[in-house]
Amino acid sequence: MSRVFVTGLGFICSIGNDEATVVSNLRELKHGMELYPPLQTPDSPVKVAATVKDFDVESLDPEDWTFPSDYTFRRETLRSFSPHVMYAYCSMQQAIADASLREKDISNQDTGLYTASAGSSRFLHSNLERMYKKGVMRCNPLSIVASIAGTLSFNLVSNFKIQGSSSGFASACASSGHAIGFAFDEVRMDRQKRMFVVGAEDCNFDSIVPFCGMRALTLSDDPDTAARPFDKNRQGFVSSGGGVTIVLESEEEVDRRGVVPLGEMVGWGQASDGFNVAVSHPDGRGLRTAMQNSLQYSALNPRQICYVNAHAPSTSIGDLSEVLAMKEVFLPDASPMISSTKALTGHGLSLSSILESAISILCLKHGFVPGSAHIQELMPEAESLNIIQSTLNETPKFIMSNSSGFGGANTSLIFRSCQN
Amino acid sequence: MNSSLEIDSVSVAPLTDDERGDLEDSLKRCSEETRFAAFEFRETGRLSLLPPIILGIIERFLEPEIRPKLKEGDGSLKLIDDLGIDSLTMMEIVVLVEETLDLSIDNEELRQLRTLDDVREFLDAKIRNVPPPQKNKYFGVEAISAAIPHHIPFLFLSEVELSSDEAIGTYPISGLEEFLKGHFPENPVFPASIMLEALGQLAVFFLVSTEKSETGAKVDPTKILFTGCEAVRCQRFCVPGETLTLTIKPKSIRHPIAKFEGKVSVQGENAAWAEDITVTFDWREAVDNLA
Repeated sequence: MSRVFVTGLGFICSIGNDEATVVSNLRELKHGMELYPPLQTPDSPVKVAATVKDFDVESLDPEDWTFPSDYTFRRETLRSFSPHVMYAYCSMQQAIADASLREKDISNQDTGLYTASAGSSRFLHSNLERMYKKGVMRCNPLSIVASIAGTLSFNLVSNFKIQGSSSGFASACASSGHAIGFAFDEVRMDRQKRMFVVGAEDCNFDSIVPFCGMRALTLSDDPDTAARPFDKNRQGFVSSGGGVTIVLESEEEVDRRGVVPLGEMVGWGQASDGFNVAVSHPDGRGLRTAMQNSLQYSALNPRQICYVNAHAPSTSIGDLSEVLAMKEVFLPDASPMISSTKALTGHGLSLSSILESAISILCLKHGFVPGSAHIQELMPEAESLNIIQSTLNETPKFIMSNSSGFGGANTSLIFRSCQN
Repeated sequence: MNSSLEIDSVSVAPLTDDERGDLEDSLKRCSEETRFAAFEFRETGRLSLLPPIILGIIERFLEPEIRPKLKEGDGSLKLIDDLGIDSLTMMEIVVLVEETLDLSIDNEELRQLRTLDDVREFLDAKIRNVPPPQKNKYFGVEAISAAIPHHIPFLFLSEVELSSDEAIGTYPISGLEEFLKGHFPENPVFPASIMLEALGQLAVFFLVSTEKSETGAKVDPTKILFTGCEAVRCQRFCVPGETLTLTIKPKSIRHPIAKFEGKVSVQGENAAWAEDITVTFDWREAVDNLA
């Protein structure tokens, strides 16, 4: 059994395309929402999205895309991308640089890659549309590998020449939590020395608007208050996209390479609601068990958790069930700080768990705890919890990061500071 | 109207407005010249417009550093080896050619296109609706190992070109062959016995690819035995980095015995020669054989 360390992070998300920007926006509680132009039509009741900046990936033809000049791509690489693959690829390059990994550290049988994404609805749709219009044999030959839910794995594993374990996870908003959890197990159980975990989602009309049907999105047209987890008058989540990469490595590899870890992952737990296809259990049953499991597997008691980065997407049922679950787990003996950074980042679906885990690592590395932004009136059910509303400059020892997905899938991941 | 064999135009279905818009979009990364030629072709069907269309479409899918090669106008350039076109890029090219010229190309036809000239000649024939020029059939290493029982590391053919009266194979000596470590230490020389083996494998490939003319029966790859080889001469050392060109010609094929003449050369220099390679074979047992 190996200890598992986080050695690299990469961010392309609504609050920044590099670590420094993300940290600064988290500290200052600056959000990444805007009135996203494609949503400003009468067809779309939803107006606000937490968009990725400095990338223009709206075109259906990746050769049209524009992106920051730090990144370059050959046509044969780009041709099988959908938008979220582009975000993820850039985040992976950042994480590789952050972890000081050389080519031979990346491409070997001891290094694997797990991904989480829902695929690209936009590209799937456009490819099918072409098929119906032009005929089955006139489809883009790359259309399947560029759009189905595995596209993130296909592209990253082949381009980065990954030879170890690889797979993708599809548990909606808990997907990247599962990906991190199972990647942790790979290293923990000495099956792999190093795992890349990558979560990503498109952020466009086709990825956002379908959630309107289930009334899960806020219809607010004010980017400054649209996402307000734990607020009494929260109306729904703000959709987001992007790509985030985390590098997990065994203690032996950290020592061999002589790198300073950013934090340690000490354990994780999961559990399912077994209740409803889309709505979380009203008492947060599955999430409560997931948190308890993660504490048990990490050999920690609730009082040792200093900060919980909550899933709380800003939906009426989701936030409430998590609040009830946290009360069960922590009260009355423990009172960890709690915030939901989705108030700033929006909700990136398969991206959200890994984004929040990476944010948790940033808290350990830079010594701060971001507040839960945009709360005008705290939901009364949460009054007994320590929901912090402004950023605190202290380094938590242990952080728990929660996620819940459709079908009642829940994950809870625990990270420890490497500073004494 | 034009009754001579050398027609200079064909009739093509005119573009609807909708199709015109789609085609404009599909060709947007091609050169001005190619786009012009494409729309001109869809109006006039003039065959002289085909070369700029085809070259322009291929060019659009090449990485920038490869494009100048195409401009040199060498029709013998190989799509895979010289232009770096992989099978997926080939499919992208085909889909765009199909859309532009309004025709359909099936997979079997595609497999035989190896050079720029092959592509041009094939499409020219296709659009004239005449049979494409008969070329030797080409087989890559996957097709070879699917056809004969030999496999890596004991397969000494990487490509084969097959016609009705001979088979030409190639084998690049990589230097990684296990036996070269001992033949000889510090001085790797490709063994003559393995050259005969390679000729034998090529003879097996020839046999399994031919059909018995009366019944269409095929040779069973598992029932071929190398039984003899006479009058062998070796004339040259062959070493890593060199590519063997192997040729066999059938002298007689009469069940259950087939005899071939074989030779091995390196860049035109004779390396080995065998007058009589003899194998025994049997037909594949199939129900339709009995009919």
